[in-house]
Amino acid sequence: METATLDGKAIALDDAYRHAAKILSGAAFPLVAGLGADVAGARAAILLAEQLRGAFDHLASRETLADIDVKRSFGMFTTTANEARVRGDCVVLIGPGLTQAWPGMLERLAPSQPPRRGAQAQQPRKVIWLGPEGDEASAIPGAKVIPASAHQLSGVLAAWRARFGGRPVALDADKVSLIDGLVETLKNARFGVFVWSASTLDPLAIEMLQGLVIELNATTRFTGVHIGGRSGASGVTQTSGWMTGFPPRTGFGRGYPEHDPWRFEASRLVDSGEADAALWISAFDGEKPAWSRDDIPLITLAPANAAPSRGLFIGVGQPGVTHDAVLMSQETGGMTLRKASAPTDAPSVAQAISAIMAEVSEGAWR
Amino acid sequence: MALTVLRGGHIVDPATGQDAIGDVWFEDGRIVERPEGRSADEEIDVSGHIVMAGAIDIHSHIAGGNVNTARLLLPELHRAIRARLAGTPLSTAKWSSYETGRLYAQMGFTTVVEPAMAPHHALQTHLEFNDVPIIDKGALTVLGNDDFLLGMLRDGEKDGAINDYVAQTVENTRSLGLKCINPGGVEAFKENMRAFGLDDVVPFYGLTSRQIFQALQKATQAVGIAHPLHLHMNNLGLAGNIDTALATIDAAQGLPLHLAHVQFYAYGKEGKNGFSSAGALFAEKVNANKKVSVDVGQVMFSDTVTISSDVLKQFNSLPGAIPKKGAIFDGDANGGGIVPYAYKISNYYNAIQWAAGLELFLLIDNPEQVFFTTDHPNGGPFTTYPELFALLMSADLRAQHLSRLPADVLEHTTLPSISREYTLYEIAQMSRSGAAKLFGFEDRGRLGAGAVADIAVYKPGRDVAGMFRRATYVFKDGNLVVRDGEVSHYTRGKTLHIRPRYDQQITKRLDSYYDDLYGLPRGIFDVPDAALPHKDAFAEVPCRI
Repeated sequence: METATLDGKAIALDDAYRHAAKILSGAAFPLVAGLGADVAGARAAILLAEQLRGAFDHLASRETLADIDVKRSFGMFTTTANEARVRGDCVVLIGPGLTQAWPGMLERLAPSQPPRRGAQAQQPRKVIWLGPEGDEASAIPGAKVIPASAHQLSGVLAAWRARFGGRPVALDADKVSLIDGLVETLKNARFGVFVWSASTLDPLAIEMLQGLVIELNATTRFTGVHIGGRSGASGVTQTSGWMTGFPPRTGFGRGYPEHDPWRFEASRLVDSGEADAALWISAFDGEKPAWSRDDIPLITLAPANAAPSRGLFIGVGQPGVTHDAVLMSQETGGMTLRKASAPTDAPSVAQAISAIMAEVSEGAWR
Repeated sequence: MALTVLRGGHIVDPATGQDAIGDVWFEDGRIVERPEGRSADEEIDVSGHIVMAGAIDIHSHIAGGNVNTARLLLPELHRAIRARLAGTPLSTAKWSSYETGRLYAQMGFTTVVEPAMAPHHALQTHLEFNDVPIIDKGALTVLGNDDFLLGMLRDGEKDGAINDYVAQTVENTRSLGLKCINPGGVEAFKENMRAFGLDDVVPFYGLTSRQIFQALQKATQAVGIAHPLHLHMNNLGLAGNIDTALATIDAAQGLPLHLAHVQFYAYGKEGKNGFSSAGALFAEKVNANKKVSVDVGQVMFSDTVTISSDVLKQFNSLPGAIPKKGAIFDGDANGGGIVPYAYKISNYYNAIQWAAGLELFLLIDNPEQVFFTTDHPNGGPFTTYPELFALLMSADLRAQHLSRLPADVLEHTTLPSISREYTLYEIAQMSRSGAAKLFGFEDRGRLGAGAVADIAVYKPGRDVAGMFRRATYVFKDGNLVVRDGEVSHYTRGKTLHIRPRYDQQITKRLDSYYDDLYGLPRGIFDVPDAALPHKDAFAEVPCRI
């Protein structure tokens, strides 16, 4: 399963590692992007970016940073999916595509079963879904569906919060009474949980949701479960957090980490020409970079079936599939070791980067 | 490894009773007696210097999901400003795991205990430990708001099953013992209680905080964990909570008990603000109860962040956040609350807190019963320890600070009347020998033959804080890791843990509990060796029995 290609032609793996090191060492400001990797891969990639005095970004940073921006400018209430499962007596799902963002969501939250603990134990759970996609909500019998398109979500949440605070909203009397009924349900919840994914909510909508949570907590308990971004985003963010103090979109040009969501956005760095070489990592599914330029030296670490025709490619295994991998688990909200489901001898991202690092000057703290 | 001698330093080593000029020999990572008939391969002249064992921090929040949330919540609190030296990746990345290792090492600290590891998030704590270079780490596992324990207590199960559960959890999460944080109070907060005292009852379990911590205290002893139950009491931070603290000590059943960051419980209700120091009263109680140990959680005036698994307390603190934001996480058991705060010398309440902490240090007689934490970062960052040592060692320095406090503070603290000054020997008792005893470490916190060669060498001078901030030399496992206050390269420390014994039946029972409640294999929460980047990440510390 060991594969490497240069502009589509097979080359020896050792040559590929040497060539990758040469490209990255020779760059003035190399970029480590994609970062679709497990914790070990992210750790190796960040150490590499640091040593090269480059920058790093993750392919789902837009979503990750939507949540983090709300957290760091406003604050955030969260819980685990399991606590929502065992205690949540009122579960409010926000937006379309939640079951795509998290295929195991319904199994984990068990919305059709009653909660096991607390004041409402063994009582039917109230489930509300605002703006599901198609018949997504039909999998939950008894769920109350409030239709809304994706771009209406912010406005609906604002109306909920306004009515919660007893403020007027410019809507028909029918709609106002519908909202007031819903707000009563929220107020009467004993341990309510909002579930959202930043893939369909912008930061202002998330802040609106969290503002409502804070206000609900004045009299009862309410919290949230957020669904993490694709390609290991949550685990990479945690790893980046303890290693550098910051989430991805962080650069080391000055020899220490600086975090700037605009300055170190991967596509901007490439398209503006600020980055003069890129290491693209997408080990889960081979997702391609979103930048438009194709004239900078590019190294791709991806599964063998995702080899690009241009640049240097090193085939890597899929975390938790071809090799054991530590990942942030959506179902527990914590790190866990996923055993390989179909082991191969393809190198992991961490192993590939380690081989590249061995060719880079300072040598290895690994 | 070479036979090395540190020649002619002033050895301050309470564990062996040394407080005199002498030599320290070490080889292969261990302190040795001066070998007969051999000369040193390397000789380092440390005359004019103080030589101590590496220091041990018994309570500092350095790793885990809650700490990481704080990092992400407060980018403005930790902007980096300088490039790192060669060979020390990320060592100047402020508040990173790497910087934590470097800064502790530079102060001569070689072992640090993270006191709040949630069982369901243990792996992240261990992953972060892995990226703290140089120093050895250990953690305490948090129980006391978990359904499995509370359910067993409610159902009146025998002590044996509770002991097995405690031992299994400590072993499985790979920690040094047990911490209990607002026992029952965090579960009660999920059921919308907003205050929770020692004898309040947890909804649906019919248990009081008192019953929960007493059960864990007994189990800790029964399974042979050297460190006494590490208790974060109820009512943290509230005026008049000295009553809670005194009642908790009275409830200690004559068994060992460690009370965490007690400064936050040393408050009376005197004065026009209804807030006064009860540090003297607290200290008197500790002096009368030799089986109780405390760490102080000293407030040092600075911008910081409070990180706690006492979610009830942290929720109640949100309105006072500086800056105004925070994160509240209802975990599977304890969870966490992250609330930024700024302690100001001009603030009456903060000044009382500062004074109360120093009263505790200075009025508790035995330095091996009181430990020097700031509850990092809750009372202030661990990097303020050198200033704290200086305050303990100088009544003049304290007087200078006192002159800057709001005048009415002086009416509500006994601090101005205290003339005691810690000696270096007492500092070493608190930070070395006493700390080692508290965790049952027989080969650290001391310079006797056979001990780990973790050694700190300081150059004394007028600037006491400066002396402790930048050690002249630090050796970790016999390797020179700090010279003239700078870390020049990394070594990899160990994660210390214990393996108390238990009946394996509990494991089967837990398996079916997780299967029934969550529909998940219990192993999803495990800390397997294969999950960590390096082999040999762990070192086992023997249990008491």
